[in-house]
Amino acid sequence: MIRKEAISVIVEKMSNQPIISANGFISRDLFDTCDRNSNFYMIGSMGLASSIGLGVALKSTKKKIFVFDGDGNILMNLGSLITIGIIKPKNLVHVIFDNSSHESTGGQPTATNKIQLSKIAKSANYKVFQVKTKNQLVRVLQKIKLIPGPIMIIVKIEKGGVISKRINIEPSKIKNRFMNSLTK
Amino acid sequence: MKELTQKQVFDYLFNNGTENFIGVPDSTMKHFIDQGFKKNKILITTREDEAIGIAVGMTLSQSSSLVFMQNAGFANSLSTITSLVQLYKIPMIFLIGWRGFLKNDAPEHTKIGKIQPKLLQALSLQSKIINEKNWKASCDWALKLIKEKKPCTLILKRDFID
Repeated sequence: MIRKEAISVIVEKMSNQPIISANGFISRDLFDTCDRNSNFYMIGSMGLASSIGLGVALKSTKKKIFVFDGDGNILMNLGSLITIGIIKPKNLVHVIFDNSSHESTGGQPTATNKIQLSKIAKSANYKVFQVKTKNQLVRVLQKIKLIPGPIMIIVKIEKGGVISKRINIEPSKIKNRFMNSLTK
Repeated sequence: MKELTQKQVFDYLFNNGTENFIGVPDSTMKHFIDQGFKKNKILITTREDEAIGIAVGMTLSQSSSLVFMQNAGFANSLSTITSLVQLYKIPMIFLIGWRGFLKNDAPEHTKIGKIQPKLLQALSLQSKIINEKNWKASCDWALKLIKEKKPCTLILKRDFID
């Protein structure tokens, strides 16, 4: 499964809940697959998607917040797992698209094939699921509907695939439409 | 800044719409943070940029935030300020403790303390240094900018050596 396939499976199965997507190819794939007002494309500030997601989750408690993160991104901000783990937001689903590489910058390796991110997340009070296939992903998405967060879904993906177009929406517009979507 | 004044600064910002106080502690503002703990309004993070990310998320949900840190942590946060806070025009108050303001402060603060005003200027981040006399007017200034949807900075000088 490539990242874009995994992203389309998730957006198809989840209802219109907010997504905070990490910079690089993850946001581009989401934009290309399913642009909607409730997507917050974090185009800079690498590493911080899960922190932004935590902030939204704590203040928009009626929504289930999805974070679309990458392995390179979360490794830059492992402290975020600690903070999420002590607060335990019930409405946070943290998806990691894990290809053990910094694909957006040329495919340099990350450490997730040598260190188990799942163990780190478990010790930080997450409920952790790991999937490799579309069927497994669909099953887990069904299962987590009944489980309080924080939830982490590690989606093992293959490198490569089509490069999606860049996001062509002004950042302040991304913000404004996302904020409006939270009030509905 | 005196203990009582720091507590007054916290209460004033809290009573005037600042709902979340997130950051990494600095001894310069110990009493400000203690007062926040008493009201159960403090969230301590692992790093300063993480605090900014959380504050951004809360602001997106219409809940106003202040991020506190030492100026060393402010230096850690430059890229987050430019590529998140300023890029998306997210209002929030930064409260920064200014180590290295006194010439005989600990050596690790000397260089960053010296360039602190220049960093703020380079970022075009509006700031005011708060003290015993001007704290209320400075808080009003910051709260007004938040209403205008602009980020801003309050600086607290480290004027003692321990």
